[in-house]
Amino acid sequence: MKRIGFLNLRGISGQIAALVVASIIAIHAILTATFLLHRPDQPDLSIDRGHAQLVASLQLLGAAPEAERPRLFADIARAFPQMDIQSLPPGPAPAANEPDGHDLRGLHRRLGSAYRIFSLGHEEGAHKVGIALPDGSMISAKILPDQRRPPFWGGPWMMTLLFAIISVTLLGLWAARALTAPLSSFAKAAESFSLNGAAAPLPERGPEEIRSVAKALNRMRERITTLIDDRTRMLAAISHDLRTPITRMRLRSEFIEDDMHRSRMLRDLDQMRSMLESVLSFLRDDRKLESMTLADIATTLQLVTDQFADMGHKVAYDGPEHAMATVRPDDLHRSIANLVENAVRYGAEATIRLRMSSDTATIEIEDDGPGISDLRKDVMMEPFVRGDDARNMDETTGFGLGLSIAHGIVQAHGGELSLNDRQPHGLMVRIRLPVRQQDREAA
Amino acid sequence: MATATPNILVVEDDRETRALIAKYLRTNACNVTTATDGREMIRAMTDHRVDLLILDVMLPGEDGLSLCRKVRAESQMPIIMLTARGEDVDRIVGLEMGADDYLAKPFNPRELLARINAVLRRQAAALNASTTNGATALSFLGWRIDFRLRELRNPAGARIAMTSAEFDLLRTFCERPGRVLSRDSLLDLTQGRNAGSFERSIDVLVSRIRRKIEADPLEPTMIKTVRSGGYMFTPRVETLTPPTSG
Repeated sequence: MKRIGFLNLRGISGQIAALVVASIIAIHAILTATFLLHRPDQPDLSIDRGHAQLVASLQLLGAAPEAERPRLFADIARAFPQMDIQSLPPGPAPAANEPDGHDLRGLHRRLGSAYRIFSLGHEEGAHKVGIALPDGSMISAKILPDQRRPPFWGGPWMMTLLFAIISVTLLGLWAARALTAPLSSFAKAAESFSLNGAAAPLPERGPEEIRSVAKALNRMRERITTLIDDRTRMLAAISHDLRTPITRMRLRSEFIEDDMHRSRMLRDLDQMRSMLESVLSFLRDDRKLESMTLADIATTLQLVTDQFADMGHKVAYDGPEHAMATVRPDDLHRSIANLVENAVRYGAEATIRLRMSSDTATIEIEDDGPGISDLRKDVMMEPFVRGDDARNMDETTGFGLGLSIAHGIVQAHGGELSLNDRQPHGLMVRIRLPVRQQDREAA
Repeated sequence: MATATPNILVVEDDRETRALIAKYLRTNACNVTTATDGREMIRAMTDHRVDLLILDVMLPGEDGLSLCRKVRAESQMPIIMLTARGEDVDRIVGLEMGADDYLAKPFNPRELLARINAVLRRQAAALNASTTNGATALSFLGWRIDFRLRELRNPAGARIAMTSAEFDLLRTFCERPGRVLSRDSLLDLTQGRNAGSFERSIDVLVSRIRRKIEADPLEPTMIKTVRSGGYMFTPRVETLTPPTSG
C-alpha cells in the first residue's frame, strides 16, 4: 500500500480530506459567485437612482449661467416633481455645512467639494437639504427616502447561501456515512461469524483501508475455517482409526478365560465404542445425510423407551400410540436416545412424553436428577461440556456430546430444544418439532 | 442349524482382525477360509465351497461394495458386510448392493455369530418357503416391509421405528403367513438359541410389534396368539418387486 500523504484518494484520510476541501471550495465558489453577481461594494443602482437624478440636476444648475436657472428650475420641477427643487433666497449658508447622515455624505461625495450641502430638516417623510452651488446661490431639494432594502433573509443571495450550506452538510453526512458503513457491517459480520461456513464473505469494497480490513477478515475467516476443518478431520481420523484396534480387542476379549476380566474389558470397550460413536456422530452432524421422510415418531419414542428398559433403566413413555411427522427418523432416534441416556445417568427415573398439535410435536424428556442450574443451561448445549466437570471421567460419563448432538439434530429439523426445571427437582428437556413439513417422499 | 459346519469366507485386509475373526468363528463350529482382497476372494471361492461371505467394505484395490455387487450378480450366497463406518448411508448402500446383513466395526463377535446363524437359517428357510423367495419387499394390508432397507412403513407411508430383533421377527412372520409358529421355532428362525441374553423373549417382541402395527394391541388381528402355544400371522402377504415404484 503506497500512499502520497493525504492526497491518496483511495484511503479514508484522503477521502475525508477531499471531502473537506471539496466542501470548502464549494462554499467559496458559491460565495464568490454571489459576490460577483451582487457587488455589494458598488452603490446599488436601484437604491441610488434618486441621488443620481438629484446630482445630475444640481450639476446642471451649477453649470448653468444665472439667467437660465429659472427656466432650468421649471424644467426640473416638471421632470422630477418629487425632488421639489427650489431656489432659496441668497443668505449666509448655515453653519452646519458638514454633511452628516448617510444621504448627505453620498451626495457630497458625488457632487464634489465645490458644492456644499446642509440639512434643512425633515419634511413630509423626506429629507430636505440645502445645497450651495459653486457660485454661492442656494437651492433646496428633497431627498426621497430610500426604497426599502429587501429583507435580509429573503434576499436571493442569502437563499443561495442557505441552500448551499444545507446541501453541503447533507452531502458531507452522506459521504461520512458511506465511509463508515462498511465498518459497522464488519462488526455485524464478526458478531454473526459461525463455523458452519454458511455466511457469505464480507464484501470487499469502499475505501482502501476498509477493503484491506475486509480482505484481512475474510482471510482470517478462511484460516479459522481451515483450522477447524483440519481439527475435525483429525478428530474424525483418530476416532475412525481407533475402530480397528477396538475391533481386535473385542475379538481378543472373547478368548479371555477369566470371566470377570473379560466382562470388565468388554465394558471398557463398550464405553470406548460409544464415545467414538458420539464423536463421529457429532462431527457428522451438520452434513444431514439422512433424508426427511414421513415417520411414526411415537414408535421411535417407544423404541427408545423399550431399549432403555431392556438395559434395566426405569423409563416410561407417555403419549399417543401413533403420531405422524416428517423427520429424519434415525437422527431423531439418536437425539432422543442421547437425551434419555443423560436422563437415566443423572436421575433414577425418566419419562418420555409426546404431545401432538396440528403443527407441532412436543417431546419432553424428564428426569428426577439434580437438574441444571440456570447459569449452566446455555453452557450445557456446547460440545464437550459435561454436567459434572469436577469429576473425572468414569464409566458413566461420556464426552459431553449427547446434548449437543441432540440440539444439532433438532435444529436441523427446524425445531427447538430447551432445558427446563422440573418440580421439585430434575431436568426437563423440551423439544418442539414442526410436524407439517413438505413431504419430500411420496409414500 | 442349516449346515453342520458352515464354510465361511472372511475377506478383511487387516491381518490381525482377519486372524481373530477366523479363530473366533473356528472355535464356534465354522470352517473358515480367509482372503485379504478381491483377487484372493475370487480364488478362494473357486477353490472351496463357500456358504457365507463376510466382506469388509474398506479393502485395498476393489472395495467391498463392488465385490458384493459382483458376487450377488452371480449367486444368492449370503453376504454380511463389515465396515469401519457406522453411517446409515453405508448401511443402506451395502444393503442395496445385495448384502444380507451389515455390521459396523467395532462389532460384538457374538453378534456376528448370531447374524451368521440368522442369515444361514433365513436362507435355508427361504429355499423352502418358495412364495417369498428372493423378494426384497413384502406388503400386507397396505403395510410394506422392505428387507433391503430394513424398514417398515404403514399404509400412510410413515416409517415405523423398530429394533433389528423386532424387524427380524416380523420378517419371519411375513415370510410364513397363515402358519402357526411356536416360540421355539421363532427363536430358531430369528436369533438362534446361542444369541445370548441381550435379546428379549419372543413374547415381549411380539407385544412390542403389536403395539406398533395393530389398531388395538389388546385385540390383535394381525399377529394372533394360538392357544397351543405359538403365534400366527394372518394377513395376506404379497410380494413386491424390488423398489422401483418409489
